[in-house]
Amino acid sequence: MSTTTSTENSGLLAVLLPPFEKKFECKVDVIAVGTGKSLKLGETGDVDVVFVHARSLEDKFVADGFGVNRRDVMYNDFVILGPPEDPAGIRKSGSVLDAFARIALAQARFVSRGDESGTHQKEKEIWKAAGIVPKGKWYLEAGQGMGEVIQMAAQVRGYALADRGTYIAYRKKTDLVVLRQGDRGLWNPYGVIAVNPARHPHVKFGLAMKFIEYLTGEEGRRFIAEFKIDGEPLFFVGGTKGN
Amino acid sequence: MEPLYRLESVCKRYGEKEALAISALEIGKGSFNLLTGPNGSGKTTLLSTLAFLLPPTSGELYYSGNRVEWKGRGLVALRREATLLHQSPYLFDGTVFSNIAYGLKVRSIDGGMHGERVGKALEMVGLEGFAGRKARALSGGEMQRVALARALVLEPRVLLLDEPMASVDRESAAVIRNVIAGLPAGGTTVIMATHDPDRMGWPDGLRIHLEEGRLSRG
Amino acid sequence: MAFLLDSLSASLRLIASGDPAFLHAVWTSLYVSFWSIILAALIGIPAGIAVGLSEFPLKRTVITVLNSLMAVPTVLIGLLVYGFISRQGPLGGFGLLFTPTAIIVGDAILAAPIVANLALSSVRGANIAIIPTAMTLGGDRLQCVLTLLSEIRFGMMAAVISGFGRVVSEVGVAMMLGGNILGYTRTMTTAIALETSKGEFALGIALGIVLMAVALAVNVVFQFLQRK
Repeated sequence: MSTTTSTENSGLLAVLLPPFEKKFECKVDVIAVGTGKSLKLGETGDVDVVFVHARSLEDKFVADGFGVNRRDVMYNDFVILGPPEDPAGIRKSGSVLDAFARIALAQARFVSRGDESGTHQKEKEIWKAAGIVPKGKWYLEAGQGMGEVIQMAAQVRGYALADRGTYIAYRKKTDLVVLRQGDRGLWNPYGVIAVNPARHPHVKFGLAMKFIEYLTGEEGRRFIAEFKIDGEPLFFVGGTKGN
Repeated sequence: MEPLYRLESVCKRYGEKEALAISALEIGKGSFNLLTGPNGSGKTTLLSTLAFLLPPTSGELYYSGNRVEWKGRGLVALRREATLLHQSPYLFDGTVFSNIAYGLKVRSIDGGMHGERVGKALEMVGLEGFAGRKARALSGGEMQRVALARALVLEPRVLLLDEPMASVDRESAAVIRNVIAGLPAGGTTVIMATHDPDRMGWPDGLRIHLEEGRLSRG
Repeated sequence: MAFLLDSLSASLRLIASGDPAFLHAVWTSLYVSFWSIILAALIGIPAGIAVGLSEFPLKRTVITVLNSLMAVPTVLIGLLVYGFISRQGPLGGFGLLFTPTAIIVGDAILAAPIVANLALSSVRGANIAIIPTAMTLGGDRLQCVLTLLSEIRFGMMAAVISGFGRVVSEVGVAMMLGGNILGYTRTMTTAIALETSKGEFALGIALGIVLMAVALAVNVVFQFLQRK
C-alpha cells in the first residue's frame, strides 16, 4: 500500500493494520512517500492500494483509469500555525480566506510545503479561492516534509498550514501556536483506492477490496475514531463533508 | 691575506652518526679547490655547509673574516654570495629562461636586465637559442649546463659543485669543464667535489681529501 | 527500458527548454559551491602547507585527525552549523539559517579538510630538492615557500577541484542549512531530492545530467590547464 508520510507519521497505521493482517493472514507493506509519488506508484502498478488525502488528484487517478472503487475513509483537519506575536493579525480574521489574505497583504513570511503533497494541494486551493497568487520574498516554498516546514516557520517567525497530527507531534518543539482552525475549508478528507486490475493484472485486487471494506466498515471506523494522540482524537469518520 | 673561508672544529652530527668533523681548514679567495673522497665521506655535507645551507652541530665558520651567524637576513645575504650546484640538479617547471632568471628574480634585479644577462649565461655554456625551451625536456647534459648557467648568471663569489659531470655526455662535460676551469681567473672561488681529480686537467689548487668525515692525506 | 528512455528524452527536452526554476537551481548550486570552495581553500591550503612543511611533536597525530575529518557526514556538519545559527543558538540573532550563506559556510567546513589533506599530500610528495635549490639560488624563506607552491601548483589545483566536486554534489548540508526554498536556496541536489520524492523522475534525471556535466566541465578545464 502506498500512502503519505503524514499518514504514516501520525501512527494510525500501527493501530489500524495489525487486526486486518491477522484476520486475513496477510501482511500490508506500507510505502510512505509524498502524495504525488504515492499516486505514481499506483499508476505504475507498484502497489495494490493507495491511501491518500488529495481529493482532486484522487478523482483524476480514477478518471484516468488507474484506480477503481474510491471510498471516503476519514478526515482530519488542517490548522494555520503562526508565531504568538501574529504579525499579520490573523487572529482577527473572519475566515480562512481572510486569514490568507491578511498574510499576503502584510507580506508576512509563509512557509509552503511546495511538494505537491496533500497539504500543499489544500494550501493551493485556499490561495486560489482567495484569488491570490502567492509570490515574493515572503512566500517560501520549502519543498520538504511537514515537520521540517513547521520548524522552518518557527525559525523565520512565519506562518504555515499544517495537518493537526504533525502539529501535535511538534507542539512542544516550537513556539508556534494555532491561530485559525475549525473552518470547513480546513477539512482534509482521506480516500482509499484499489489499483485497477485491468491495467495491472498482477495486483492483489481481491485483498485490496477486502482492505477497503475493512477500512470503511465498522471495525476500521472504530479503530480510527478511538485513535488519540496526547488525549486528542486525530481523525473523524464520515468523510463526505470534506470539500 | 685573510682566507675566504676558515673552519674551526666544525662538526656535523646526525643523532649518533658523525658526518663531518673538520678541526681546521682554510680556503683562499679566488682559489680552485678539489674535494675528493669515497662515497659517504662527507663531501656533500661540507659543500652544503660552505654554501650556508647546513648549520654545523658545533664549531665555527668564518667567512671573509666574520663569524657566520646561522640565522636572519644575514644568512640569506650570505647564501646569495655562494651557490651550490647539486649532483642531479632540480630544474623548475618552466622554460630554460625562467630557470636561469630565478636567482635574478629573488634578488629583485630589474626585469629589463634579465634578457641580457640570461643570454650571456647561455652563451657561456654553449646553449644559445635554448631560452624558450622547456627545461625538463632537455637531455641530461643540457640540463646540467642550464643548472650551471643558472648559477653563473648570478656572478657568485663562490661556486660549489657536487660532481657536476657525473652522468653527462662528453660534449657537455667538455663545455662544463672549460667554464669551471676559467672561473678563478674572474675572481670566483671554486670548490668542486669529484671522483676523478686528475683526468680533466684542472688548474692548480688545494686538494681536500675526506675519509669518514675527516680530513686525511688521501 | 522504455521508462528510462522516456524519462531521458523528457529530461533532455526540459534542459533545452530553459525553465527558469531549473536554471535558478543550477545557478544556486554553482554560486554556493564556488564561494564555499574559495573559503575552504583559504583555510585548507595554508593549513596543509603549514603542517607539511613544519616539524612538531604531534605531527603524526595531527595528520591522522586531518585525514579522519574528511569522512565527516554532511548531515553532521549540517547539524553542528544548525545548532549555531538557529534561533536557539548563539548566532541565532543574525538570521543566517535557510540562506545561501548558511550553505556556503557548511560546505566550506565540509571541503576544508579535503583541500587541506590534498594540499598536505602535495607538499609531502614534492621533490625534496625544491627548497634547497631555491635557497642556494638566494631565496629567503617566503620566496622558497612560494617557489614550492608554484612547483606543486597542479597538486594544489587538484585539491581545490576535489573539494569542489564534493560540495557541488552533496545534499545533506544544502538541505539542512538552506531549506530547499524555491528560487532562493534550492540547489541542483536538493531539487533532485524533492522531485524524486514527488515521483518526477524526468526532472530529477535532467538535474542529474546537468550536475554531471558541470563536474565533467570543471575537470576538463583542469586537464587543459595541466597540458599547458
